[in-house]
Amino acid sequence: MVDLTAPPTPAPVPIQGPWAVRARRFAEVSREVLRNPTTVIGLVIIVLLLSMAILAPVLTTPNVPDPYQMPRDWGARDEPPGTPGFPLGTTTTGGDVFYGVLWGARTSLQLSVIVVGITVTVGVIVGSLAGFIGGKIDEILMRIVDVFLAIPELIFALAIAAVLGPSFGNIIFALAVVFWVKYARIIRGQIIHIKQNEYVDAARVSGDSRFKIYRKDVLPNSITPVMVQATMDMGGIVLTAATLSFIGLAEAGLAEWGVLVADGQAGISAGKWWASTFPGLMVFLWALAFNLVGDGLRDVLDPRTERR
Amino acid sequence: MQIRDYVIRRLMIFPLIIVGTSIIVFALSRVGGNPIAIYIEHEMSAEEVAELEDRYGLNDPLPVQYLAWAGGVLTGDMGWSAVSAQPVTEALFDRIGASLELAIFAAIIAILMGIGLGTFGGARRDRLPDHVTRVVSISGASMPIFWFAILLLILFWVNLGWFSTGRSDPTIFATIAHPTGIYTLDALLAGNFTAFADAIHYLVLPSLTLAFGATAIIARMMRSSLVEELNEDYVDAARAKGLPERLVLRRHARRNALIPTVTVIGLGFGFLLQGTVVVEIIYRWPGIGRWMADAVLRGDQATIMAYVLFTSILFLFVNLVVDVMYAYLDRRVVLGA
Repeated sequence: MVDLTAPPTPAPVPIQGPWAVRARRFAEVSREVLRNPTTVIGLVIIVLLLSMAILAPVLTTPNVPDPYQMPRDWGARDEPPGTPGFPLGTTTTGGDVFYGVLWGARTSLQLSVIVVGITVTVGVIVGSLAGFIGGKIDEILMRIVDVFLAIPELIFALAIAAVLGPSFGNIIFALAVVFWVKYARIIRGQIIHIKQNEYVDAARVSGDSRFKIYRKDVLPNSITPVMVQATMDMGGIVLTAATLSFIGLAEAGLAEWGVLVADGQAGISAGKWWASTFPGLMVFLWALAFNLVGDGLRDVLDPRTERR
Repeated sequence: MQIRDYVIRRLMIFPLIIVGTSIIVFALSRVGGNPIAIYIEHEMSAEEVAELEDRYGLNDPLPVQYLAWAGGVLTGDMGWSAVSAQPVTEALFDRIGASLELAIFAAIIAILMGIGLGTFGGARRDRLPDHVTRVVSISGASMPIFWFAILLLILFWVNLGWFSTGRSDPTIFATIAHPTGIYTLDALLAGNFTAFADAIHYLVLPSLTLAFGATAIIARMMRSSLVEELNEDYVDAARAKGLPERLVLRRHARRNALIPTVTVIGLGFGFLLQGTVVVEIIYRWPGIGRWMADAVLRGDQATIMAYVLFTSILFLFVNLVVDVMYAYLDRRVVLGA
């Protein structure tokens, strides 16, 4: 039965036109997103993690010369959490776990912003060429994408980082090579769908150039699923990078969560649980927070793909 | 498009993608470092190194090198695995049983738990069970497997002493023959229940760890497709004719909800494949994942190439089977495409 007292469902507002429309749309989306409690939890965790990353140099004394290297205090090995000066304890090699947790947040922030930036740019360019131009170019680009998708993500990144040699820079490069493909595929599918809309035909008839149609009508209306995916990848990239550095592909002694978990692993049989537990928890929270927010965004921005 | 045409098209593209993948794998070995670096010793003179390079055809044009390598792969010659000091093909066959056993157990756990959890949540939408399912499935996608494995070890090995790492008790291992390399199967073939129980005992922690991610994916998909099915008219019809809710769920809704869930099995399989590397390192499981990790750390390119090629082809094959199966189960997919 139709409930006549219910407010009518608002028509979707296309994201184009003057800034006022965009601002209103942004406010609408934000209100909608904040209505979901799990999204809010995710946002709160993100704010906490980002403050840790930003405040790391204030809360700890940066190691010289390289603050991203763990400071070592050989006189304080395997200290349990709560030891004066070492709130989260130390590792078997005298590394301060608290320092590693904070500076690890900074490492993760840089890593995820760089990789998401590169992969979204490359993916959107490739996917746009394929979807907007179509034909032979589409066919060729998509077969390349298929091949990249054929190799499981982590294994691909592992192999690239391995042949380039162990360094965190190579991990970043490897992740960039692996993660752009999804964006290319998403944006291509969106563009092919959006292109069929009448307003695109209208723009064409009115004599707009192809690039202008792409920039003003097609791209802004195709980008939301990319934003959802990018939010989730902010988490997924840190998770994958931590896995690679856990396996041993980052420099030893780097203030990075995966490296710290690997360092702490040696001590667990002797009951020294803290050196692995805290940094691993950080990876989990980081990935969880971005997944929660990405999930909430998806429900609001694109209810059709909710089930995926 | 007819289903037959769809399957034919997929089958035609399949070898092309495998060739593409092999090109990427080959390219990997040529972008970084020297592919024979691991065979070179300190004492070798420059001439000896040059001779080695010549022997492995590193001075030939790249396409020639690729064809030589691909020809080798097709005839089962993938080079020498330095980390295991034996030919790559042999090393792969020695270790595949262990990984297969782990993956099969993890897959069974993931499918049973994923479908169970998804049904549990989906049938009680927006109530507590549903929230539990949601939390589990989002945690599964965010959980660093290496950390989860370590937490389980801290609890069940260090503190409770229930399980340990490794693959079997060495004394029990020695009591039976190992024709397949899959210990549970070997024990059953030998009719030795002690060995079987031992193999299962060592499988518990690693397979639970490995299953977590895939469980999450399956539970999530099952939950949402069940919610969708429960809104369909046929469910109302079944209820209207007086069928108890339990049977509506079991005979009608759940059966149809399983169809879309099939699609994520391929994705879940990818999770399992990737997870074996880390799980095998932490639990000291002698499979191909740990072999790969050793090769990665020592720059053993022949092993890395073989592992990536092998897992990718396996992954592609599973996805092909899943897609074809789905096309048969739900014809709307193909006809609507």
